[in-house]
Amino acid sequence: MTETTTILLVDDEPQIARWLNPSLRAAGYAVDNAETGTAALARAAAGPCELILLDLGLPDMDGKDVIARVREWSEMPIIVLSARDQEAEKVTALDLGADDFVNKPVGIDELLARIRASLRNRARRATQAPVFRSGDLEINLAARRVKVEGEEMRLTPREYDLLKALARHAGMVLTHAQIIALVWGPDASVEAQHVRVLMAQLRNKIEADPSNPRLLLTETGVGYRLRSDDDG
Amino acid sequence: MSVENWRTGPALPPQLRTLLRYAGAVAIVAAASLLADTFSRLTGTSRLTSIFLSSVLLAAFYLGVGPGYLAAATALVAHLYLVDPPYKFSLGSIDEMNALLLFTAASLLTCLLAGRVREERRVTQARSRANAFLLEATREFSAMSDEALIRQRLAERLGVLASGEAVVEDDADGQEAAARRADGWTFRALGVGGQTFGAAGWRGAARSREDEAALDLLTDTGAAAIARARLAAAKTEAETRARTEDLRNALLSSVSHDLRTPLATILGSASSLRRFAETFDLETRRDLAATIEEEAARLDAFVSNLLQMTRLEAGAAPFRRFGFSLSEAVRATVARRVRGQAPAVDVQVEPSLPEASGDPALFEQALGNVVDNALRYAGAAGPVRIHVGRRGDRLCVTVQDQGAGVDEPDLERIFEKFFRTSSAEKQSGTGLGLAISRGLMEGMGGTVRAARGERGGLRVDLELPTAAA
Repeated sequence: MTETTTILLVDDEPQIARWLNPSLRAAGYAVDNAETGTAALARAAAGPCELILLDLGLPDMDGKDVIARVREWSEMPIIVLSARDQEAEKVTALDLGADDFVNKPVGIDELLARIRASLRNRARRATQAPVFRSGDLEINLAARRVKVEGEEMRLTPREYDLLKALARHAGMVLTHAQIIALVWGPDASVEAQHVRVLMAQLRNKIEADPSNPRLLLTETGVGYRLRSDDDG
Repeated sequence: MSVENWRTGPALPPQLRTLLRYAGAVAIVAAASLLADTFSRLTGTSRLTSIFLSSVLLAAFYLGVGPGYLAAATALVAHLYLVDPPYKFSLGSIDEMNALLLFTAASLLTCLLAGRVREERRVTQARSRANAFLLEATREFSAMSDEALIRQRLAERLGVLASGEAVVEDDADGQEAAARRADGWTFRALGVGGQTFGAAGWRGAARSREDEAALDLLTDTGAAAIARARLAAAKTEAETRARTEDLRNALLSSVSHDLRTPLATILGSASSLRRFAETFDLETRRDLAATIEEEAARLDAFVSNLLQMTRLEAGAAPFRRFGFSLSEAVRATVARRVRGQAPAVDVQVEPSLPEASGDPALFEQALGNVVDNALRYAGAAGPVRIHVGRRGDRLCVTVQDQGAGVDEPDLERIFEKFFRTSSAEKQSGTGLGLAISRGLMEGMGGTVRAARGERGGLRVDLELPTAAA
């Protein structure tokens, strides 16, 4: 990243902007502000804008509609920043194409880590690096080989597909619905329960202590996240 | 027709009434005999059968079958005595015998027919009375929604209909019912479409088939009324629960938002100050510190509003009342609420005002909520004007903003808990502030009302009594 990344902050609470504007600038980003969904869509389209920090409760429209409208033409990362902690809201936002969500209140360190993870993921998907590493885990996507602490693990095709899907979105949440679409196919009629069973099998092979996972993290009520190297 | 005396007629014991009816039959025949005797003396005729026959007809029709037969027998004896030869019991000639036989046969037939007519009339009357009674009961039950009351009235009406006493039990197989059943009580299950609500039982003089049918019908009517009352109660309960649930959700989401937004700002700003302590310039550091301070004050105001609401709801707010300077309280409120914000609040105070009566701390909170509202919803449109002055023998603080105002029908509703105008929905807020203001003002003997301002915008008047001199 040689040139400055611009973050569009969409929030109608002025005090949030008062805090985030100087903080994001201090972290090396350029910041643009929008207080309404309409303004957000206009700013995002006009650019420059590489990432959207989006509050779901906007005065003129539902934040989820902003996600859907942006996704019609852009794959830029969208991080939902909301005081709402209802799981259904998060799942809908993620299914609509948001990359991640952050619950208010949040410290600047965690927020910056999530922003970096989202930006890096876009870059990774663009370049398709053949080897993914996080902690003791190494996935060779070209050779379909998985190593834990340098030791090769034998995974079933489903387990490998699940791990690959999470690695592709490392650091970000995948909802149950997204995992089902990526692992079983978009038309599969699979219950969230199957995802949980498959996840338990995968944890047994990957995690040192499957009951206290360090890599394959659960986002309660939403989905799963594979820890990426610089997560806090 | 009231329930208590729906059976018309003299309130005599039944035995006495029967006795009277038979005595009446004898009296009618006696009167007929007298008439026949007089007629016979005057005209010298011995053909008196028609007179006696008439008396039997009369007795049978008005007094019933039994008295009719008695009248027929009495009339036969009188006929034998009076006719041919007079004043002597004799059968007389063959012709007379024939006439007598004819008379007797005619009398008996008359009795039978008259009795049947009478019986039918009685049944018809009883049926129509019972129908009217049932209709009346149906009307009464349909206007009632309280199950206990329906049960009570059903028992009363069953008692009247049974000409005795009646009970309505919750439990169809209760021990009491079983005990009573042995004691001449009739019990019917109280139920509709497979549902059972207990049993109805009665004991009384009414034993005819019509009475039984009417009692059964009344029982079913009562059961239907109870079923309806239960459905209505269940529906009301479900609606109340849904409304409570809505209120709770509204409160939860607004509390969560109103608590989290300041908290998010405080936590975020503090973490930024720590993380970027060296990077930030002095002005940014000062601004973030000020943000933390302001948001903490906002949290504090919100928490005291919640507490105050809880206290008002519990009816436990202690309303001390003493004299205080209204203008000072207004200035203190403005200074606290408008901390560092650009939109001006313009305060005007009439000279030489008396002291107001109330609790200045509570008044500041009531006014603060009104001012917050004005700044939040109309602060961008222009300065908020506050005027402190007299109104009659009371003191009035008027808060006038330059915003879009509130529609006439909503002016009173904005003081309701959780009410938010459609335009306010877009802004954060709990819909608690003005409700608390009203509770506090009324607790201090004051009032708070909203009106449309002369030049648009919303005008809120807060009135307090003056302190006694």
